[in-house]
Amino acid sequence: MPIYKAPLEDVRFVLDEIVGAGKLAELPGYEDATPDLIAQVLEEGAKLCEEVLFPLNQSGDGEGCTFENGVVRTPKGFKEAYGTYIEAGWQGLSCDPAYGGQGLPKLVNTMLEEFICSANLSFGMYPGLSLGAYNALSTYGSEALKQRFLGRLVDGTWAGTMCLTEPHCGTDLGLIRTKAVPQEDGSHRITGTKIFISAGEHDLTENILHLVLARLPDAPAGTRGISLFLVPKFLPNEDGTVGPRNGVACGSIEHKMGIKASATCVMNFEDATGWLVGEPHKGMRAMFVMMNAARLAVGIQGLGMAEVSYQNAVAYARERLQGRSLKGTAHPDKPADPIIVHPDVRRNLLTARAYTEGARALGALVGYKLDVAEKHADEKTRKEADEFVQLMTPIVKALFTDIGFESANIAVQVHGGHGFIWETGVEQYVRDARICQIYEGTNGIQALDLVGRKLPQDMGRLLRRFFHPVGVEIEADMEKEELGEFVLPLAKAFAKLQQATAVIAQKGLKDPEEAGAAATDYLRLFGLVALGWMWLRMVKAAQAKLAAGEGNTAFLEAKIRTARFYTAKLLPQTNALFITIMAGSKPLMEMEEAAF
Amino acid sequence: MQIKRAAVIGSGVMGSGIAAHFANAGIPVVLLDIPAKEGDDRSAIAKGAIQRLLKTDPAPFMHPKNAKLVTPGNLEDDLALLADVDWIVEAIVENPAVKADLYRRIDPVRKQGSVVSSNTSTIPLGVLVEGQSDAFKRDFLITHFFNPPRYMRLLEIVGGEATRSDALAAVADVCDRALGKGVVRCKDTPGFIANRIGVYWIQTAINAAVDLGLTVEEADAIVGRPMGIPKTGVFGLVDLVGLDLMPHIAKSLLATLPDNDPYRAAFREHPVITRMIAEGYTGRKGKGGFYRLNRDGGAKVKEAIDLSTGVYRRSDKPKLESVSAAGRDLRALADFPDKTGQYARRVLARTLSYAASLVPEIADSIVAVDEGMRLGYNWKQGPFELIDRLGTAWFADLCRSEGIPVPPLVEQAAGRPFYRVEDGKLQHLTTAGLYDTVVRPDGVLLLSDIKRASKPVWKNGSASLWDIGDGVLCVEFTSKMNALDGDIMAAYGKAMKLIGDGKGDWKALVIHNESDNFSVGANLGLALFALNVGLWPQIEELVEGGQRAYRALKYAPFPVVSAPSGMALGGGCEILLHSDHVQAHAETYMGLVEVGVGLIPGWGGCTEMLARHAANPRTPKGPMPPIAGAFETISLAKVAKSAAEAKDLLYLRPGDGITMNRDRLLADAKAKALELAANYTPPEKVTYTLPGPNGRAALELFLEGFALQGKATPHDVVVCGKLAEILTGGPKADVTQPVTENQMLALERRVFMELVRTEGTIDRVEHMLTTGKPLRN
Repeated sequence: MPIYKAPLEDVRFVLDEIVGAGKLAELPGYEDATPDLIAQVLEEGAKLCEEVLFPLNQSGDGEGCTFENGVVRTPKGFKEAYGTYIEAGWQGLSCDPAYGGQGLPKLVNTMLEEFICSANLSFGMYPGLSLGAYNALSTYGSEALKQRFLGRLVDGTWAGTMCLTEPHCGTDLGLIRTKAVPQEDGSHRITGTKIFISAGEHDLTENILHLVLARLPDAPAGTRGISLFLVPKFLPNEDGTVGPRNGVACGSIEHKMGIKASATCVMNFEDATGWLVGEPHKGMRAMFVMMNAARLAVGIQGLGMAEVSYQNAVAYARERLQGRSLKGTAHPDKPADPIIVHPDVRRNLLTARAYTEGARALGALVGYKLDVAEKHADEKTRKEADEFVQLMTPIVKALFTDIGFESANIAVQVHGGHGFIWETGVEQYVRDARICQIYEGTNGIQALDLVGRKLPQDMGRLLRRFFHPVGVEIEADMEKEELGEFVLPLAKAFAKLQQATAVIAQKGLKDPEEAGAAATDYLRLFGLVALGWMWLRMVKAAQAKLAAGEGNTAFLEAKIRTARFYTAKLLPQTNALFITIMAGSKPLMEMEEAAF
Repeated sequence: MQIKRAAVIGSGVMGSGIAAHFANAGIPVVLLDIPAKEGDDRSAIAKGAIQRLLKTDPAPFMHPKNAKLVTPGNLEDDLALLADVDWIVEAIVENPAVKADLYRRIDPVRKQGSVVSSNTSTIPLGVLVEGQSDAFKRDFLITHFFNPPRYMRLLEIVGGEATRSDALAAVADVCDRALGKGVVRCKDTPGFIANRIGVYWIQTAINAAVDLGLTVEEADAIVGRPMGIPKTGVFGLVDLVGLDLMPHIAKSLLATLPDNDPYRAAFREHPVITRMIAEGYTGRKGKGGFYRLNRDGGAKVKEAIDLSTGVYRRSDKPKLESVSAAGRDLRALADFPDKTGQYARRVLARTLSYAASLVPEIADSIVAVDEGMRLGYNWKQGPFELIDRLGTAWFADLCRSEGIPVPPLVEQAAGRPFYRVEDGKLQHLTTAGLYDTVVRPDGVLLLSDIKRASKPVWKNGSASLWDIGDGVLCVEFTSKMNALDGDIMAAYGKAMKLIGDGKGDWKALVIHNESDNFSVGANLGLALFALNVGLWPQIEELVEGGQRAYRALKYAPFPVVSAPSGMALGGGCEILLHSDHVQAHAETYMGLVEVGVGLIPGWGGCTEMLARHAANPRTPKGPMPPIAGAFETISLAKVAKSAAEAKDLLYLRPGDGITMNRDRLLADAKAKALELAANYTPPEKVTYTLPGPNGRAALELFLEGFALQGKATPHDVVVCGKLAEILTGGPKADVTQPVTENQMLALERRVFMELVRTEGTIDRVEHMLTTGKPLRN
């Protein structure tokens, strides 16, 4: 049976050392978010994830969702778990108190999301999509829409979805065909079919609010003619209670590789009543609010997958007795040594761990900047934080979900034949983690976003938010002897990243295929350097605490050793990536289509 | 005959502008107008015109001192002044009777054999000379300048039956060499070449926009870049010349054009436009035109007029599917199946077929027509060049499908292009249907001709090296906007290697190109990218590489002559400062403008300017005056508005040459390079006597004063403080220890690298690149 314990100690370390203890409470509106309060909240959240959500993960996978007569049923126990979840107010954790939220920083929610995804990725989809709908509606919705609907999304009694994809278009939303016809009363009638709609229909809440992309009759072609509409499953009465059924219905649900307890629906809209969110034809802008937040959230899903995979791999490697250490017997008291004595098993374990902890630190930093971008008193600081988040969003999404899948794979590998068996529980992580690399823009699209949009924007201004602080930090640490083994390799990798950035920018200006050919390798290179930066910071913090005689010595020493592994064994991949990037587009493009 | 002195009669906008331009060419000129009716000074009108010239922007004078060459007078007391002049230009009201009366008055007093010309744009020559003396008829011609005379390159020249050929030749020659004009010989027909075609084109473009329901922005997006009138399009152009001018030209054309001329059918008064003119919305000089900047509420909002309602609305840059789909393919644009494609089709078919139907009626060859439209209406390509882009056969089909008769010239081309290159020579189709070589006047050497006839000696992504004959090598910048980058430095290196000691196949180097602007400096976009990514070593290498290249050229064993035209800013100015000789086009605008983006000239610009101020005999003695001079020029980022002004600012030396006609620039530069190569020794290295921190403190005190008065922003103080550090020799300098050039360059480099790391500088660079305007932070 799989296991899971929320990594509270590491989260606390990251919050204190990477973000800076008390930094959140310095932001206007977050005065109450002290390190102790955050720790308390996360401890409670951990308990919920470990005791309520995690036990439903494997059973949910086995049972899946069922579809009958237009009704979708979630697996046994989900409804009750969801009830517990919203009763405790978790849905509104980072939402506006004006609508009943708790008004805690987004970062706290980000950390909690990791726990939820580790515990039960399928379950996490439902509240996650509601939060996405909340974000879009609170940013772009009219006052009337907000008053009418936001409170229900915050208390979780109603859920939300994002309806973008249609049978003939996913990545290229400019092709959308769903129609919206204006009505006399200011509402619209929506007609069309949407597919791959997560949480499109389920039995967890009394109502579901769909955010739907559709075209108005006078809409220009392409993405500049798409508008966003709010379409409830049930039309609410004046008093806020659920009224008559709207013209929206689930046509079927998909049978999928993973996240089987999350209902993925075909949604049919037929003259469904909806209301415009934001301006006509500006739906893509509102959509990007949801999408950017969702991309970060999917990155955190990858992190959650990586963490739980690692934990299970370690547990098995400790208890599985098989053969002896290469150097002779390590545990004479046992009939055989646990496989954790083997270098290659350790390589597997440390790879998952070093990626996971590095990603957690980076995820926390991005989450913190998200709060700064929203709440900081100084406009310039807000803007710079927002630029950092924009730059890092595709990296967090693609890198973290790649890490999640790699770690899940590692967990199966460490388990050997047992890992391939459903009952063991780790093969589910491979299947579940796989979707994270695909939805919310495939990782290939993330890489294109990075090289095609983020990199050239304002002649590289977004890049400044990463390269300048990292450059300054490396320069400052360069002379410190105790950091030498960490900072020198990072400096080299950073220089490679700088060079690759300049080359891609220069070549990409002349030939976009050059940028496209380098995109995925470049994103990975960027991500590895970003994690290296996080590891340098973590080493410095651990060294300082050890020198001061503070903290948990075993934890801190393990931190430094993991950093060493990362710097010596993973970071050097940057060299190969750099060479691949420099090889340009020819090896990809010279083959004629027919020859494939 | 030679023209050494001139007179202009009529001191209106055109007359005074022509007089100013004579002065720019160094030709003394008499400017006469009618006597003033009021006041004591009977020459007040002409005098007032000169005062107005000095205040006009853009300036009609290339240098204010040129005003002294203009002698004002009045037509009653000062007619005797005409006895000394070789050429009299009449630029008075467009009335044949008034003109005839004037001619009769000046004929007896003018010097025998002097030339008289009219600047008329509408009256036939035959009408003008009616009833005048035979001598007058022999000496008379039409010279049609375009407004403003200093800046518009076209000069249409028309001779009558009696006109002496040597008079025509003398005027053409002085207009070409001294006034720098592109002289186009026209026949005596209404509107000559440019206005005849241009007015029809404007009318057609407006009609089609109204009929097809295009906005002014959409029409300009089609006529602009795709058809080759990039900056303004058609509505923007009318705003520039003035809406009120159009009805005047229309009226005179309608009075004189043949009965069956297509312009008559095209002519239409649009109520919205008529109302705009009546209410003073005459364009940029009036309350606004088809476009205007609305300053209501503080912010500047660009607005455009709605052609159907006449109401201004916010102007949006249109994104036309047709334009983005067609790219550079003019055919694809005209074929695009929407109203914008239809617009392109209609405007192209009518305008180009009209132009093609006018040869040989208005000019003997298509070359003159193309040149007239390029120089007079700022078209990138003339009508026949545009037809070639479409293909003559395709164009004939287009005419047929638009229901327009195919012009005989196009029929006769029978699918052949109007221009072709044969044996490296440009040839044009004659009215006889044969190809003839396009002949350039003596002393005209065009890089574009050389490029047609040969392959580059060497090239890379940003520069090419050309053999321009007689052992002279030419560096041409080919990068986008001629931005300077590592590849251009590499091209200098290659040129150095090829020329070697200057005693082999190659003797000298010329730096020249035919773009609108010589170079506006280093590639800032690339630099900002490097800055954002923190690639400091790469930036330092760019600075050092530039210094190395410029210094190598300066001390090369062969002469380096630069021949700039248009803007030469920043690094583009610094290369001129390092050349042995600069042969500048009169319209060269030099400036060290680095301070505007938070930097200092880092390719030796500070050092060279210091040397020039020290060497200038007018600079007072002592270490501080040269420093103060260079500091003022660089800290204020002064840009010379002409080559003449560049001499004042010491960007050019007294010995540097000025060429009035752009087409003659390369030949002049080449001749100078060969002259220098005959007996060349590289310049001596100079050392600098500099005061160090004491001098710096003095400049900083001065800066603080500026800051207190609000004339310098906080980052100005930072940047100019650093400039002061360089110009005073750095922290260790003192007057007893001469500073070497290498030390100066190291100082430039260090300071440059300090500045690029400041946030204020990065913000300035970014602001310049994203908005095109300097940031005052």
